Amino acid sequence: MNLWKTWKTAFDAWENNTAQMLDPIVRSRAVLEPAGFALSSAMKIKAMSDRITAAWWGSLGLPTKQDQERTLHKLNTLESRLLDLEEQLEDARGQ
Amino acid sequence: MNPPRMRGVFNLARRAKQGLPHVGLTPADVVHTENKWSLLRYRARPQGREPGRPIVLVPSLINRYYVLDLMPAKSFVEYLVDQGRDVYIIDWGTPTAEDRFITFDDVCDRVLRRAFRVAAKTSGSPDVHVLGYCLGGTLAAIHAAVRPERIASLTVLAAPVDFHDDGPLSRWTNTRSFDLDALVSATGLVPWPLMQAAFYMLRPTMILQKGVALADRAWNDEFLDGFLAIERWGNDNVSFPGECYKRYIERLYRDNALIADAFSLSGQRVRLSNIRCPVHAVTFGHDNIVPWRSAARLIDVVGTEDKTHLRLPGGHVGAVVSKKAKQRLWPELLGWWRARDGAEQPILIRREGR
Repeated sequence: MNLWKTWKTAFDAWENNTAQMLDPIVRSRAVLEPAGFALSSAMKIKAMSDRITAAWWGSLGLPTKQDQERTLHKLNTLESRLLDLEEQLEDARGQ
Repeated sequence: MNPPRMRGVFNLARRAKQGLPHVGLTPADVVHTENKWSLLRYRARPQGREPGRPIVLVPSLINRYYVLDLMPAKSFVEYLVDQGRDVYIIDWGTPTAEDRFITFDDVCDRVLRRAFRVAAKTSGSPDVHVLGYCLGGTLAAIHAAVRPERIASLTVLAAPVDFHDDGPLSRWTNTRSFDLDALVSATGLVPWPLMQAAFYMLRPTMILQKGVALADRAWNDEFLDGFLAIERWGNDNVSFPGECYKRYIERLYRDNALIADAFSLSGQRVRLSNIRCPVHAVTFGHDNIVPWRSAARLIDVVGTEDKTHLRLPGGHVGAVVSKKAKQRLWPELLGWWRARDGAEQPILIRREGR
């Protein structure tokens, strides 16, 4: 057995044991709750700063990013509904 | 350094110059496109297609479709086309900021309905065989329960159905301090790196393990090609439309509403017992993303007598694209479809490993 194979066997054993040891840790409330709290806090700060920016932008009478996103989404929905109608028409013709 | 390791280093250096491997190479035509998603139809083999219903593949919403058409000789799609099947696949595309408002109903009801309709129409068949992989399987099962019209059979690969499985993802999404509304309102589209980080949490040593596996077998061109293609796919994910994500996590992961018959699609109650078409659930014993028991639950709740559960060894991705998949899983799936297309093979109802 060469040096690499010996090292690889040892690594595989270490990796497997470490993964098994970490598994209950990453599942534990003691890890997940603080991680969830940190993520949620960062997201709340971002959402708040987005709201402040949008309010300022809107006060100038300009459409906000979300206004534009909503409009584009409506256009996509409209396209989809048109395709629905085409299908219904096709079905009605076929009957 | 011994010769295979040396050759591995040279191989890696050579491959680094070539750039990322080419993936999704089976020739296909776009037969429908709408907003960001499109439906691809693979071109027939030179000798034409065999009789039988078309197969529509529904990949996961957060991954690229080409995992099912990874690269020549490692492509499930290529295998099916070579066997003469008419194959369609949904490419979910890349959502942009305005797609944050896309709902679960939009994806699971409207998109799938359209895809199955277009596939049936362009192939000239009244209905289609549906195969959903991972979340794509969950979407397909929900759809089949409410809109069975064009579904001749349902095959799900590693598709979560019972979400209270005690897996790390279930635990994470049920963490009290994880504020779903804050995440969705701040990001719009839930960024895929965030979701990928959750997958890495499933086995934190995975990156090291991959690095060592690469160093160990980089001398082997076949291994290297497959490894790089999978890595390319694994790092080419899609962000999740926020509204859709919210309902997915809230109702499926947190409330486990699907298994409790408490989920609804476009206002209609989803009862998995309403699935009356033949059902084939494939689960993988070493799947740490979708524990096999979570996926196998579908078989217990569907209303059909023609149901098959196949439990194979292997992980969530490897079991679908590996050499072993080509030898066992792919022929198994093809045989199952052929049997339901009226071929002479008997219909097999089997339960393995339960």
